[in-house]
Amino acid sequence: MDLKAFEQRIESGGRLTADEALQLYRHAPTYWLGRMADGVRRRRHPEGLVTYIIDRNVNYTNVCVARCNFCAFYREVGHGDGYVLGFDEIARKIEETQALGGIQLLLQGGHNPDLPIAWYEDLFRSVKQRFPDFKLHALSPPEVLHLSRMSKLPVPEVISRLIAAGLDSIPGGGAEILVDRVRKLLNCFNKASADEWLEVMRHAHRAGLRTTATMMYGTVETDEERIEHMARLRAVQDETGGFTAFIAWSYQPEHTERGGVEATGIEYLRTLAISRLFLDNFDNMQASWVTQGGKVGQLSLAFGANDMGSVMIEENVVRAAGASYCMDEVEIVRNAEDAGFVAKRRNMHYDILGGPFFREHAVPRTLELSTAREAGDNSVPAELVNYPARSAAGKRQRSQPPASPVA
Amino acid sequence: MNINLAIADRARAGEALTPAELDELASADVLSLGMLADEVRRARVGDVVTFVRVEEISGPPSRPEAATARSRHSSPEISRAEADASGASGATGAGEVRICQMPATLSETIALVEQVKAGAGSCLVTGFSLADIVDRSWGDLAEVLTQLKRAGLDAMVEAPLDRLADAGAVLQACQDAGLKVGCLSLQKPGGVERTPMLIQVRALAARFPWLTTIAPLSREQSVTVPTTGYDDVRAVAMARLALPGVPNVQVDWSQYGPKLAQVALTFGANDLDRVSVVNDESLGRRRSSVEDVMRNITAAGFQPRERNTGA
Repeated sequence: MDLKAFEQRIESGGRLTADEALQLYRHAPTYWLGRMADGVRRRRHPEGLVTYIIDRNVNYTNVCVARCNFCAFYREVGHGDGYVLGFDEIARKIEETQALGGIQLLLQGGHNPDLPIAWYEDLFRSVKQRFPDFKLHALSPPEVLHLSRMSKLPVPEVISRLIAAGLDSIPGGGAEILVDRVRKLLNCFNKASADEWLEVMRHAHRAGLRTTATMMYGTVETDEERIEHMARLRAVQDETGGFTAFIAWSYQPEHTERGGVEATGIEYLRTLAISRLFLDNFDNMQASWVTQGGKVGQLSLAFGANDMGSVMIEENVVRAAGASYCMDEVEIVRNAEDAGFVAKRRNMHYDILGGPFFREHAVPRTLELSTAREAGDNSVPAELVNYPARSAAGKRQRSQPPASPVA
Repeated sequence: MNINLAIADRARAGEALTPAELDELASADVLSLGMLADEVRRARVGDVVTFVRVEEISGPPSRPEAATARSRHSSPEISRAEADASGASGATGAGEVRICQMPATLSETIALVEQVKAGAGSCLVTGFSLADIVDRSWGDLAEVLTQLKRAGLDAMVEAPLDRLADAGAVLQACQDAGLKVGCLSLQKPGGVERTPMLIQVRALAARFPWLTTIAPLSREQSVTVPTTGYDDVRAVAMARLALPGVPNVQVDWSQYGPKLAQVALTFGANDLDRVSVVNDESLGRRRSSVEDVMRNITAAGFQPRERNTGA
């Protein structure tokens, strides 16, 4: 492998083929990958900024019919631990988020058969009515597809109705690995095939939304399939230019049906670096501190990342699978500055909003991320009775009078 | 490479860098520093990463025979190098039984060491921080250490430099008592300036050639201001580059976790301490502690070797 030739090509802005990326991913020394990725990051972001967003990951429901075998978060329909958040609960979470300088929710959830599209539209409208400037980065492609199937509406129409209700952008969740062989083994092919996932993103971009793209690696896929995943994203990005960022994270195996082990920190840094080199039409690479921890999260900034992702405030999905790292805004800024960068707050479009919020406002430190609900809180939101349930369990629940509040 | 090439060459040659040179190296970008430390480490100790499984005892063992059973493959005669070559500590045995809590009195401590030694069979018994022993003021230090040695202690766990006012005298007392020290360490987060500490370690290693291991990451972490990843890998790399006379740069696997510990291996570390002796395979063999550490070492491009303390 002629690393010198690759160096010259990468430094002159030349594009890597999938075969070349695979060769480098497998065989190039880790430090070489890091140096090359760092060089690309410097050329693309010469101002020396590291960005982050203050938002909150809210999972509106954990009830899901998809049954992905890598997920430790979902509960089956009718399960005692299944929940749906109420509009008022979500509003309280937004108020807490705003107090910490937050500007959006990353709102995702399970494929709950008892939440029709009207519920989502009413939720979004309710949020926008109460918090007009607050942004909704919501519903990954498989959720959009789920709504399309349930409502028997084409995807573009679902997207356009959601936009009308207040949707601002779509997160890149549910991509896992965009290769159908892998998706079938992970039992996530039915929630969205690779083509379907990409097609939702195309429709979203055509509708004027910007979205992110993700990759969850470390389950059953081969190195070739990781590169194929990136190649498919790169092709869509060439076509639409709608992706704002790429975010890779490693599969978290605790409490999942699939089990197995987590890919190592070095594999993460190599994956991040090759994504920076191969995805030459993506501006932003996020560091996944939530799966790698703050220390490797910070080291990501030397391996091609230019964004520390989200302050997050709340997280449920990764925590359910065994990772419980926490970085509040103070920590994210300290890590970015310690690595020699200037830390700046951004919005979902990566527009710079300003310096650290905590330097201008009294903000309490957060040493542990919140969760969707307190343990044992099985309350059912009152407004759910307004929406028809499809499942037998959902119909039973909605036919019962609400429980009296405990004195 | 954003690094002073003349200084890098001196580090490669194993020369004693001046404080100014160390400061300049420490300010290099993190990737250049890591590359140099990795190169020096490979030249000095090759691509083997050793690890030790430790059975930790926090008080009198309730079932001494359990320790014996778990450590049946270990042997005090096996040195680190021999263990490397033979893999003699085996797939199920601890490489070391470590006493982590010190009783209130010397006599209770001696009794505990005797009890653990009796239960440890052929496995090496280590225990205690030298700073804790000094703080207890149980009398003449060399005499106290001699009594612990006689009771069956094979080595002290560590000598935390930021807690020892006269580390040279304390290590001399250890040497006089015939007790080795597992590693030179730091206890408090941000408690010392790095370059003077490295110069001190270099002098101590020259005076006591049996000091073969430095653990450059502090034992205690601040909850609100933990060290960053850059801090940690720089500390590891600088220990490798500043201490040509200290072959082993160690990271605590249990404290720092697989992610940081693995990355540290590529920044000059070559030894992982405190791998769990509980090799739970109930979630699958690949999830067991030994498989996990070996997988991480291999994925970082090194060869794993289980060891004992080599005391």
